[in-house]
Order: sequence, then C-alpha cells, then structure tokens
Amino acid sequence: MTTAAPAPKANMGQPIPRYDAVAKVTGTAQYAADMPLRDPAYAYLVTSAIAKGRVDNFDLSEAQKVRGVVDIVTHENAEHLEPAKFFSNGGYASTTNQPLRSPDIAEEGQIIAVVLADTYEAAREAAHRVKVSYTAATPTASFHSPGTVAARAKGQLAMFKDDPKVGDFDKAFEEAEVQISAEYETPPQHHNPMELFATSVAWNGDSLTIYEPSQFVHGLKNGVATQLGIDPDRVHVVNPYVGGAFGSKGSMTPRTAIMASISRRLRRPVKLVATRDQGFNVSTYRAETRHRVELGAMSDGKLTALRHEGWEISSRADAYCVGGTKTTTRLYDCPNVDSLVWIVRADRNTPGFMRSPPEVPYLFALESAMDELAYQLKMDPIELRRVNDTNREPIGGKPYTSRSLMACFDEGAKAFGWAERNREPRSMADGEWLIGYGCATTCYPTQMAPAAARVRLRRDGRVRVEIAGHEIGNGAYTVIAQAAATRLEVPVERVTVVIGDSDLPPAPVAGGSNSTASTCSTVMMVCDQVRQRLLKAMMPNQGQTVGQTPSGGASRSDQRLDLDREAAFDALGVSVIEEYGEWKPDGAPADSFRAMHNGQVRMVGGPEFGGKIAYAFGADFVEVRVNRFTHEIRVPRVLGAFAAGHIMNPRTARSQLMGGLIWGVASALHEATELDERYARYVNDNLADYLVPVNADIPDVEVILLSEEDTQINPAGVKGLGELGNVGTNAAVCNAIFHATGQRIRRLPVRLEKIEV
Amino acid sequence: MDDKTNPQSRSSFNRRSFLAGAAGGAMFPLAARAAEPATTTIPSTQDPTLPVPVTLRVNGHDNALNIDARTTVLDALREHIGLTGSKKGCDHGQCGACTVLIEGRRVLSCLTLALSAQDHEITTIEGLSNGARLHPMQQAFIDQDAFQCGYCTPGQIMSAIACVKEGHAGNDEDIREYMSGNICRCAAYPNIVAAVKQAAPEILSG
Repeated sequence: MTTAAPAPKANMGQPIPRYDAVAKVTGTAQYAADMPLRDPAYAYLVTSAIAKGRVDNFDLSEAQKVRGVVDIVTHENAEHLEPAKFFSNGGYASTTNQPLRSPDIAEEGQIIAVVLADTYEAAREAAHRVKVSYTAATPTASFHSPGTVAARAKGQLAMFKDDPKVGDFDKAFEEAEVQISAEYETPPQHHNPMELFATSVAWNGDSLTIYEPSQFVHGLKNGVATQLGIDPDRVHVVNPYVGGAFGSKGSMTPRTAIMASISRRLRRPVKLVATRDQGFNVSTYRAETRHRVELGAMSDGKLTALRHEGWEISSRADAYCVGGTKTTTRLYDCPNVDSLVWIVRADRNTPGFMRSPPEVPYLFALESAMDELAYQLKMDPIELRRVNDTNREPIGGKPYTSRSLMACFDEGAKAFGWAERNREPRSMADGEWLIGYGCATTCYPTQMAPAAARVRLRRDGRVRVEIAGHEIGNGAYTVIAQAAATRLEVPVERVTVVIGDSDLPPAPVAGGSNSTASTCSTVMMVCDQVRQRLLKAMMPNQGQTVGQTPSGGASRSDQRLDLDREAAFDALGVSVIEEYGEWKPDGAPADSFRAMHNGQVRMVGGPEFGGKIAYAFGADFVEVRVNRFTHEIRVPRVLGAFAAGHIMNPRTARSQLMGGLIWGVASALHEATELDERYARYVNDNLADYLVPVNADIPDVEVILLSEEDTQINPAGVKGLGELGNVGTNAAVCNAIFHATGQRIRRLPVRLEKIEV
Repeated sequence: MDDKTNPQSRSSFNRRSFLAGAAGGAMFPLAARAAEPATTTIPSTQDPTLPVPVTLRVNGHDNALNIDARTTVLDALREHIGLTGSKKGCDHGQCGACTVLIEGRRVLSCLTLALSAQDHEITTIEGLSNGARLHPMQQAFIDQDAFQCGYCTPGQIMSAIACVKEGHAGNDEDIREYMSGNICRCAAYPNIVAAVKQAAPEILSG
C-alpha cells in the first residue's frame, strides 16, 4: 500500500487502480471534442459585449467575405426553439434566458450570433469580423449596485423549501452570556474545468447524436428534445469521459439545442468548442454571497441562539439560490435557531451548482463565527464543537443516521499536532513567518436518487454493467466495477462497465455527491437479481428466499457463486443471464421512476430523508504562515479527517478528498471572478488571471479516512464524499490566519493586501 | 553536419517551402518547392487564407496536410491528423493541457503554428507507450493516482517527462515548481509530484 492507495480499514473496499487509468494515461480516452465527425462545420460564438440592452444591427459583410464561411446565425434567422424550464424548478435548463430569440440582451457574454465555417480558423476570423451595434442600458452588477431587487428566497424556487427556525432566537440571543455578530462575504467563482464547453452534433435522418461533456446525459437528452420539439428517443447523448465538471455540466445550457438546430438546417455535423473566456458565460458559476451570523452561548460554550441570514446573487431571468441555511441551522445543538435567505437579482448570467454549492459559502460564515466564539470564550475551538455536538438536529429533532464529527476532530488533531498549538494569536513564529493553526467542521448531505442498470453475467464469469452514470473524475467506472465484482464474486478485471450514454438505463445527475451511492446501490441490486436466478437454479426448493433482506436489497449467502456458477448456468441451460432493475432510495417520491426516464431528478437525503437526517462529516486542519514584512500567505500543511460510511475505494476516495481540500485552500486564498461593476462584466475570464492553484501552491496534503458504518442510508452504505473535502477549509484557513496574525478576515479571498498587521 | 539534423538549414528550408507553398498553391510537391529560390515572395493579391501544404512528423510518422496557415500544432493534431490525446484547455498557453514534445523539449502546441513545426520530431501522448508496455511516467501516473478526470493528464505526462530530462526532478520543491505550467483542476498535485519522483530514476537510467 502507498500514500496514494491507503490500506483499507474496516468497511472499506480495495484501493485498486482506476478502471479508466490506461485510457487516460495513453490519450485514448475520448472526451466530447475528441469524437470524430465527418466533415463538420466549425462553430464559433459571437457573444455580447454589453450586459443589458439590445442589438440594433449586425453588419455581417466583412464576416461573410471570409473564405470558408458557411452560415451566420443571429436572432434574425435562428430557428425558433421551445423554451426550457429552469433546472432548479424541475426542468432541464441552466438558464431560461434563451439567446437568439430576440435582439434583447440580459447578460454580458450572451450568445448573439454563431458563425459556421469549413475550418476552425475561418470561423474564428469571421466571428471577430461581425460588427454589432448596441443600445446599452446601465446594468446592475452586484449587491451594492443601484437597481438590485432583493426578495426572500422562500417561494421563488422549488429547491428552496423554507427558512428553518426553532425556539425564540431573539430572546435567547439577548440572554446569552457571550454573543457574536459578524458579517461575511464570498466572491463569485467559476468552475473552470480543464475541458472546455464543447458540443458536437450530428444528425442521421431524424436522429440526433450529441457529444458533449455532461454530468447528466438523460437530462440533456430530454432537455434538447424538448427544445427541438422531437421525441427524446431520437436524441442520443454520448459522453464516456468528462474532463472535469464540478457542477458546470449538470444542467443543459442554451448552446446544445442551438447547435443541433443549426446542424439540422445545414444538414451537416457541427462542432463547437467554446473558448475559455466564453465559458465564463456559456455555463453557470458560483454567485457571490453575503452572510450575517449571530451566535449566543453560555460561558461553558453551550450554544443557546444561532441565526444565519444569507444574501445571494441571481440573474433577472431565474431565481437561483443555494440556501445553505438548511445545513448551518442543523449542524450544532442549539434550542433557538433562526434563518433567512434572500435572492438579489442583478443583470448577470444565471448562477448554478459549483462543488458543494450551499456548504462552501454558508459554512465559511458559520465556521468562521464558531472560531470567533471560541476565542471570545477562551475555549479550544475543537472543544466548542464537542460541547455542541449532537446526534439529533435541532430544527425537527430528527436523528442523524450516523455522525462521526468528533472522531474526525480527534483523529485529525492527533495527526496534525493540534496540541502543540499555543492558543494565543500571534504567539507562534519561525523567523519572519508568523505561524497559525486553524480548524473547521466539514459536512455534506448524503444524497441518493433513483437509478436503473442492466447487468449481464456470462457462464465464464465475464460481467457487463450498463448504467448511464458519469465519469467526471469521481472514479465512477472503478467503483461500479468493484460493486459488481463483489456482488457476483468475480475478479474485478472481468467486469466491463459502460456509462456516459443516454441509450443506457438512466442514472441521476452526477451532482450532490449522490453518484456512487445511487449507482452502486442500483448495480448491487441488479447483480442480486442475477444471483437470485443462479441460486434458484442451484437450490430449486429454497432459492427464492436465499439472500433476501427485508429492505429489498440482498445479503451475501453462503453459496459460493465463484465455485458453483458454471454448474448453475448448466442447470439453467443458458450461457448468459441478463437482468434489468430500477432502484430508488427510501423516501423517494412515487413518481420517481417516471421522472427518472424523463431526465428529471428526485433526490432525497441530507436534511430531507424522511424521519432521519443523513450527512458525512469531517474535520479540516490548516497551518498557515504569514510573512510579517511582505504579508505573503503560505499554506504548508493541510489535513482532513473524514468519515463517509462505506468507502468503495480508498484510493479514489482519498484523491477526491485531497482535491477537495486543495479547492478549499483555493477558495480561501486564490479564487475570485473579478467583476467590472460599471459593465457587469467578468474581467479575469482566463486561466492566467482567474487564479486556481498550481502545483507550487500546494505542498503537504494529508487525508485520513475513518472507518464508519451506516446501515440506514442506502444498500451500498455509501455517503458521497466528492464535495466533502472542500467545505469548511476556507474557514479553517481564515481561522489559522487569525491565529497567526490576530486579524480576522471575513471577506474572501484573502489576498496579501488584506493583511494589515 | 548532415542537412537532416542541422536545425539552421531545416529552419530556412521550412520558411522557403512555406513561402513557395503559399505562392504556388497547394498542388506542388514538397521537393519541387524546395528547389525554388529563397527569394520567392507572396504576391500582394494572394489570399493568405488559402490552405498550404504542411508535413508534420508525429510519433515517427509523416503526415502530409493541406491546412490553413494559421493552424496550430494542437489543432493540426486534433482536427487534421486525428490524434486527440493532446487537449485544448485554454488555447492561450495558460494551462498546459496541450503540451507535446518537439525535438524532446516541452512545447505548448496551442501556441505553436503547425508551419513552424515542420520537419521537427513531434512526440505526443500517443507516441509514448510501446505496444501494451507503458512508458514509466504513464505507469507512475497510474500507480500514484495522479489524475482524476484525466483531461490535463496527457499534458502533465509530456511535461513530466521533459521535467525529468531537464534535470528538474531532483526534489519535491523543484518538481512542484517545474510542473506548475500544467494546471490540474481536480488538484491531483501531490500525486503528480509522487509520480514524477517514481518515474524519474527509470527515465534517467533508461
């Protein structure tokens, strides 16, 4: 075992190498833009230079002169596409601001024309030769711009149910012995997956094939079919590998149906690779947020009052919000809780999911405030969490299915050397470097959604699993192969996994960290159907009940399939057994399977899991060094200890958590989309100016996986962890900066000019 | 010095063939154009967007193309030769996903015109493994789980091989610094450092 492949503890699978490893290191893994097309027309987008107003006129004369130009599509000649409903309101679309429908412009970077040409170079040149006359209005950029409209989130979108509250916050806060009231801010951020937003489309008669990076091929298929007004079964989305997504490829963006309609008109495949800067508007982003957190506690640290108010930016077209109060109001034991979330509309593109959408901004606020409270109480911040730890959330009194928060803190603290910390701010130094230690809680809702799979077992032990899951770097191929191999008792090398294709049985969006729990639970169930047929053949009189458990899953029987499989096949007189099955989690609504086939998600879990509440937990520890002269900030050490139920594969789990911790550091120190407030325009829309960590920014990162078993969540026992690593880390960094410098920074990102000491 | 290995003579050869090719159209074979005098100029009426013949030597094979003169090595590989292992992540030389080796040096193929790479030996991710036998750096990336989504991986591996051969893989700090031109948004960085360390001795001894 190596650092990259940690030895499995209790309730963990084997750290086998990735199923797709060879394809990825040899360049044979085919991403969307790698798919060969016959004589495609290359598309290049022309996007709006203004954020609000209208196009008065296009002068296409120079563009049309460029050799190889095939067509230029604007709102004046674009095909009418059916409107698409917003993803967060039960639809498919990332935005309802459908471009090319009218001359109106509602966001900077809105697609206003598409140039098609025989070569990429000609399309690019012609796009730059399109001359546009605008009538521009003054846009509203963000919170403090004039013209914003704020309204309570409740009632504006289906995804935000209510503002959680319990008890009497006002009274309890007033009576508290210690009070904290502070405001926090997080900036806009863009996912910037390495893979660009590419879309290739090809028609064969009235059937459409789409090659596009997608976290939800069934959603994309149904969404595009809706917009084109065609039968969804005529749409085939193919996407075996996604080059990073982080939420940006979960919902349908306007570009896909536009490319499909142009291709239909041209009777020719179309290939679009939106540029990096266009990507800042082509898809979604994490909007900026503001928070006011008020905490009241008794002198022993016991929380008596907690209030969290959040403000989030959205577009004029759509009410989007992440509403992280659903988690921050339930994280600690506190009898009096209040919360309120506001949506503030500006002239921007519609925001969307970005890795741990609610938790990154909302836990930054809460976990910073908890650290402030600990200092005011002169209490160790870990002890403050211990005093307020609970197995029952305070809002509805529901029990956590399992909660290893303090075990994570204790193991993490030991490995990090937390005890060596002198709790006084500015008390630790190494030459000109001020040293600070900080910690924070991380948690992420355990979520599941209905899925279907087909499993084929051959007499010789070869297995084929088909499920429209998504490989976004999460190790989907690998863990699905492991689930099937374990259940059917074959070596994992014998399992073929086919995913990323909308002709396969549907799986939910690879979002909300539900993927492993949902797909593995489903594959295990269908493997058990195969098992049942074999076992029946082997034991005709008792086979019906072998391996059945009351929950509908199945346990291992004593029968050894690996020894008796061939005999069972012979008894059945067949060489192949194939089973199809549909699985849904406890508490999923009655229309789950119908919705699943329509490309709609019925996700349950987290705070909405029947009479229970399900979360994965962890503890983040950070050492920062702040140069007392230059104020340079370095993070020499990051450590995270995590418990997330059954770990399918400690190797892929560790890598995702490690990447998450690094995202957390980036959230604290690097990432921010800079907005030109005069024009509501993103300024640093490229990878040189939008700061993401590079290798030299990231030294020592340690991940500790704790053993945890949870039998109440799903048959696989899995709590998703893809978004667990990057929650709370931003607060841990700021808490460490406070410890190093005595300065509390409440507005991200922390850049050296913000350090004043 | 043999003309074939003299970069100076090859460089001027290339410029000549480009000028002549642009002037003479696409149909002349390479040898005929090479024989023309170096003073050939582009007539002012010549449309510079006409395709030009370009021969790219990739992974030991010559590829004769007829492409827009503005085509980058990256787009030539991906759109015209069919080698899609090299990836486009920014098209601005900011991310490193397109990194290939040209004469053994790591080069951002999105910032390199195909015309300027003629007759130079280009090595891409597809040219590393010997049949089923992986290059030591490819194996090290698997062993150390040095990728997640895999999109930056071809560029990381090409860069890592050059990093070792440049002598910049002596310690962790050097590896981090000299691998910082390749962004990994999944942030597999510590594992990438481990992979470079693992493969370095074998590459240097081989």
